[in-house]
Amino acid sequence: MTEILTPSDASPPETATAPPSERKQARKENWRLIRRRPSFIIGVVIVLVWLVCALLGNRITPHHPLDFRATPHLRPSGAYPFGTDQTGRDVLSRVMAGARDVMRIAPLAALLGVFFGVMIGMLMGYVGGWIDNILSRIVEAFLALPVVLIALLAITTLGQSDWVVIGVVAALFTPIVARTVRAAVMAERDLDYVTSARLRGESGTFIMFREILPNVSGPIIVELTVRIGYAVFTVATLSFLGAGPPPPSPDWGAQVSDGFRVISAGIWWTTFFPAAAIASLVIAVNLIADSVQSVLEG
Amino acid sequence: MGRFLLKRLLSAVVTLWLLATIVFMIVNVLPGDVGRKVLGPFAPKEEVAAFNARLGTDKPLIEQYATSIKRIFTLDFGESYTSGQKVSSIIGDALFRSGKLALLALAITVPLAIAAGVFAARRRDKLADRVIVMTGLASSSIPEFVTAAVLMSLFAVTWKFGKVFANPPDGAGVIEQFRYLILPALAMVVVYFGYIARMARAGVINALNSDYARTATMKGLSSSQVMRRHILRNALAPTITVVSVQIGYLFGGIIGVEKVFNYSGLGSTLLIAVGNKDIPILQGGVLIVGIIYMVSTLLADVLIAFLNPRVRL
Repeated sequence: MTEILTPSDASPPETATAPPSERKQARKENWRLIRRRPSFIIGVVIVLVWLVCALLGNRITPHHPLDFRATPHLRPSGAYPFGTDQTGRDVLSRVMAGARDVMRIAPLAALLGVFFGVMIGMLMGYVGGWIDNILSRIVEAFLALPVVLIALLAITTLGQSDWVVIGVVAALFTPIVARTVRAAVMAERDLDYVTSARLRGESGTFIMFREILPNVSGPIIVELTVRIGYAVFTVATLSFLGAGPPPPSPDWGAQVSDGFRVISAGIWWTTFFPAAAIASLVIAVNLIADSVQSVLEG
Repeated sequence: MGRFLLKRLLSAVVTLWLLATIVFMIVNVLPGDVGRKVLGPFAPKEEVAAFNARLGTDKPLIEQYATSIKRIFTLDFGESYTSGQKVSSIIGDALFRSGKLALLALAITVPLAIAAGVFAARRRDKLADRVIVMTGLASSSIPEFVTAAVLMSLFAVTWKFGKVFANPPDGAGVIEQFRYLILPALAMVVVYFGYIARMARAGVINALNSDYARTATMKGLSSSQVMRRHILRNALAPTITVVSVQIGYLFGGIIGVEKVFNYSGLGSTLLIAVGNKDIPILQGGVLIVGIIYMVSTLLADVLIAFLNPRVRL
């Protein structure tokens, strides 16, 4: 019944003991495999489109995203391909400019979460003992926290700002990442190259960051891509709930929040296009994450 | 089994304590006056003082901390800042309404997703499998409120199926309530389907490749017997865990769905609380959802231990 670990499963992967040049070779090979996957290419193209919108913003939108001189609630047509919203602003321009907020907040939150998660996870996995025990308990409690609700509480007590959103998302991602990294580090901890580094008299920090870290980079990269997807998801949800950037700024979640009440009157385009933008970005990030994951984790 | 249960319960108590501590820290993480932080720099002094007195945030930190620990174990979260009503009864009512919605969503998602996962696993790498995996990946990527808005414009408005406002009239029968709740529930089904289906698929594929599945097939059991008696029992453990974890997330995502469909459940209660800066309700909401998460993962662990005796060791 139990999965019996065969010796080949338990022994380190080839790259673990391989010299740096071979490790580089393997990394190149992985990267080649990832690039060849169609889902990766589709994902990257979509993300790049939104990245260009985020970086260039007003300079490439057909109208200014805050220009309200058009007739309100125009149906999609030639001059306004996505129609206009309740105050006569061009929905297409607002969707393009709206990429900026989410593209700034979500990756930053994910990066911070992964950074702290890696630090704590390395500590738990490598040092072990009572530190690991205590931290594991805390991680477990954090997992019980609902991210959206915590964010609402934090915004009420700490005030509404992008940094509160970034902080909450990063703080709630940290334990999840830490758990993954801990498991990866524990699988490495007793391998020969770690033992020999220890016998050489290397310091714990050196072993953690120069010896183990390169060998657990696979799961960390996977975790980072997955977390960016979740961060986009969460940030969009929060801005829909009114916890995002303040009103006039074009933000996808806020646009959906402004528009959804008039859907029942047949005005669907003010909601549909920003909603589709959110969906396309999260799906694109997840396509990338999925490709990276299937190559790096087989 | 008794020992296993006791150990699991003890760790749940520790987690509850930590949960209360974390929530306490969110309110008190920045130094300074809670009332001043919440009401802003321009609020008059008397108002800030009244706010703190009402919330108990003028007491020493240690005393406040002791209160918040006591609260999570007695399920008494104090009084609402705005209405003075008991937070536990406000949240209890809201939770009952959200629970109905969540249960309907789960009752549709879980069987559907497990069936799809098993179906995909048995046709691994064929077209049907690819379609299910890709649909699952895409559908679980889309935030609930987006799905809710799209479903609303398609079904309720264009095809006149379901309701734009999900609040059923008072005294509505079960079938009547179902007609009101089905669209918001479907919005959640779309999101949770993909994750659970993928988990079930992975579990079944793992079990199909195992020695015991091969033995069972070779001793002449029909494939449906192998499936029922050997594969599902083993393959569903990770799926049960995922479902239990999702129950916690469900109450986060439900907030967006409730807002779209104007449903007065936990989500709208909490959003109103944000508007009123009603911290006790928000704290209570976080803690209750945390407790629901804990209880559901605890039940899942017990269920898995029941299905698979090895876990109890």
